[in-house]
Amino acid sequence: MQEGRPLPTRQINGELLRSILNSPKWFWIAFIVLGLIVLTAMSAAGLLINRGFGVTGMNRPVMWGFFITNFVFWIGISHAGVMLSAILRLSKAEWRRPATRAAEILTVFSLMTAMMMPLIHTGRPWRTLYWIYTIPFAPYDFARGIWPNVRSPLVWDPSAVYTYLTSSILFVLVALLPDFAVLRDRTTGMSSRIYGLLAMGWRGNPRQWKLQIIAGVLLSALILPVFVSVHSIVSWDFGMAVSVKSWHSTIFAPYFVVGAVHSGVSAVAFVMIILRYIYGWQNYIRHEHIDALGRLLVVVATGWFYFFVMEVIFGFYGREADEISVREFQFLRDPWNIWMMFFVGLTYFLPVSIWLSRSLRRNLWIMSIACISVNIGMWLERFLIIVPGLAQRSVFTFDWYTYRPSSVEWTIIIGTFALVAMLMLLIARVVPLIPLYDIKEAEILRTEIKIGRVTVPAVVRED
Amino acid sequence: MAASEHGPYQGMWVFPDPRVMTRDMAGKIASMPRKFALALGIAGVLFALGIVGFVVRAIDDGFDDRAPWGYYLATFSFVFMVTSAAPIAAVAFRFTKSHWRRPLSRVSELFAVVGILNILLFIPMMFVLPSIGNPAGSVEGQLEVRRTIWFEGPIGAPHSWDLLGVIFLAVTAIAILWVSAMPDMAECRLTATGFRRWMYQRLAGHWYGTRRQWNAQKAGLALLGAFYFMLLIYVHFIISSDYAQSLIPGWKDSIFPVFYSLTGLQVALGTTLMILFIMRRWGGYQEYLGKSVFWSASKVQLGLTLLWAYHLFAFFITFWYGRLVIEQNIIKYLYIESYGGVFAANLLLSFIIPFAILLWNPVRRTAWGPALAGLSAALGALMFNIRIFVGGANSGDVYDEFMAVVPDAVYPDVWDVFMVVGGIGAAVFVYMLATKLLPLMSVWEVKEGAMYQRMAKFMRGEYLVLAKPE
Repeated sequence: MQEGRPLPTRQINGELLRSILNSPKWFWIAFIVLGLIVLTAMSAAGLLINRGFGVTGMNRPVMWGFFITNFVFWIGISHAGVMLSAILRLSKAEWRRPATRAAEILTVFSLMTAMMMPLIHTGRPWRTLYWIYTIPFAPYDFARGIWPNVRSPLVWDPSAVYTYLTSSILFVLVALLPDFAVLRDRTTGMSSRIYGLLAMGWRGNPRQWKLQIIAGVLLSALILPVFVSVHSIVSWDFGMAVSVKSWHSTIFAPYFVVGAVHSGVSAVAFVMIILRYIYGWQNYIRHEHIDALGRLLVVVATGWFYFFVMEVIFGFYGREADEISVREFQFLRDPWNIWMMFFVGLTYFLPVSIWLSRSLRRNLWIMSIACISVNIGMWLERFLIIVPGLAQRSVFTFDWYTYRPSSVEWTIIIGTFALVAMLMLLIARVVPLIPLYDIKEAEILRTEIKIGRVTVPAVVRED
Repeated sequence: MAASEHGPYQGMWVFPDPRVMTRDMAGKIASMPRKFALALGIAGVLFALGIVGFVVRAIDDGFDDRAPWGYYLATFSFVFMVTSAAPIAAVAFRFTKSHWRRPLSRVSELFAVVGILNILLFIPMMFVLPSIGNPAGSVEGQLEVRRTIWFEGPIGAPHSWDLLGVIFLAVTAIAILWVSAMPDMAECRLTATGFRRWMYQRLAGHWYGTRRQWNAQKAGLALLGAFYFMLLIYVHFIISSDYAQSLIPGWKDSIFPVFYSLTGLQVALGTTLMILFIMRRWGGYQEYLGKSVFWSASKVQLGLTLLWAYHLFAFFITFWYGRLVIEQNIIKYLYIESYGGVFAANLLLSFIIPFAILLWNPVRRTAWGPALAGLSAALGALMFNIRIFVGGANSGDVYDEFMAVVPDAVYPDVWDVFMVVGGIGAAVFVYMLATKLLPLMSVWEVKEGAMYQRMAKFMRGEYLVLAKPE
């Protein structure tokens, strides 16, 4: 039997547009609380810019700390959108339907948040323009010989991330066209006019549907290389640095990409569970969808674990004193060894042992714990790659320094989580976080096949 | 696109008659068509040439020096790579419950039989692998203990552990084949005669198709499949590290085992599709093999091809950009100078040609397109193995800290050529013999698929309806 009952179009419209057309009280409370956290983080960033890097815990030789860790983390989360939307769309996985929109939007917001981190990390955000552009009529640091170095991964980074951000926004907008048209027809006044503008004349005729589907498939295929390149390039920020021994590893690019998918898909699963709870979307985000995400995550997590093991084994394989000392730092020295155990346990062993059981995959509370566990673990992973690599004992004892993040850094980091949550809440007021047309299409295509005395759920395939 | 637009679906989907199928399959096993006999004969002759090449090489050079055995190592690795990775096609697509995989499963599982050949081919390789400890002891510019994944080495490492890995892999693959083929053998035991009847009764005499047996079979396939996949990755890791990476001084490359496995998966799927094409074109299996098998598998093939290029680039850019002499010499040796020509052929055959073929949807929807891409990938994988394993065997003193001088490439002599064609011929020979013992098509899976798929009227067209059982 099919899970979930058939839903009429009117009910789908009513329930999925609930987040836009109704204003529950909790929304404003949540918005204010999150807004206050974001404001505090902005103040902390202002303080950092005003006072300089002295207010952070960073010092020689650990010049990359929480900010860069958080940058890599949010870039990782952004990989959920394409993984779920593009790949599952191309592979025609039916269970993708309720997850795609939230994943795509999470991609956009996490990319925007990620890009703020290196800007804050520079301490002088406006000067980052010199990295990339020669701005007409703007003062240029000729005297210091500062020129944009196009061969630097730090220049590739913003290029890749902005390309990904642009294509992700395009991807979301193309998928939103039919839903904007529904909203145009169900709102009045200014809202209706804005939705009308965004719907770009969508009337749902066969030609428009055909073009929208082709655009969706083409964008899915085109965005895949961008998706892979983004986190690969982020990994090469580290991989190209031969001076930090534990970073110069050939496996970093796929290792980072798989890790990003792992954390991103876990984050989407968590967001879906939250959406189901707060908007009462039990008919759309069903246990079978979370179950399918759990099964996908077992594969992704195991792939990630394989890359992790390879990275560690080949760290020791080289028998190079510098690298062995970093590994010793990571695995044997307090507190890094404890963090390392937490990281591996939270990222792989705890969640995978949960996901192996069907009943636990279908328990939304336990799934939430598993997904949060993965994301804590993945955040720690990035931290444990960056900081011990830089903090290794060098020949000069005055460089022996252990990084301790300051309250300013903590505040900014917490602020980024609040920012993404707040933006997700706000966008839920503007666009449906479950694609209406996708759900309606699924309703049309679902059917059943009777085999002997058993009725088996089935789907009509268009090709 | 509605299926009805294609007349009788233009061979895209086929829905074989379950009653006819069993009889037809039993007939195909028992018969020995002329073309098949000719191909088997050619493979047998190549096999014999390989034995000649091996014997001459052993008499001429012995096993003390690994350098003359470079092409033998490459041949083993090529055969092992394809045949060990092939059963994954059945395992993986069974996990994803892809209906199109059904005609493909047995073709890929049958490679398990070649696992026995892999064990035999591996035994001589144990003698050419240098010991972990430097026999010269502590020498300036050399390592006392060479770089290996075994570090100081558990007892018998790396030789015995590698052999155990290859044996376990072969045994697990055969177990998967046995469990999967059990229902088919049980059906065939009723009609077969002579040795086949005896074999089927021994291997599937207890099978009556009860619900309990079916459940146990499906659970067994899932568990064995998961175990096999993990074992495959592990054995690929140790073989690629012990017989390639650790033999080249200074080569430290964490992506290489992944790249090796990926090459194996790409070529295994390609080879499976080549066999399917041959079966469809000349083997009389057209009624059982719709183009949807090729079309769906080709998407995975395209993905693997792109991943292959991505992993290659991830390696190359890290070494190239790092500008360390030790890494630059590895690139010069394996990619640019010594084996530059072989690498160019490898890149062309493993990526550029398959990509150019598989990029086009109309080509992917044919049977020949994915098969041609598979052939190209197979030749590319051969170049890959020659480049890496011949390079590994001829890279100088394995105890050196790094490769100070880039050695020249080593080209094959006539005995090397005999060993390469002989190794491939042996694998083909064993596989073809296996097709005379077990049906080349998983009859129970195809019959099950016929129940789960049907064409049905929907609105104004006729479409495929796919059941999705839990």
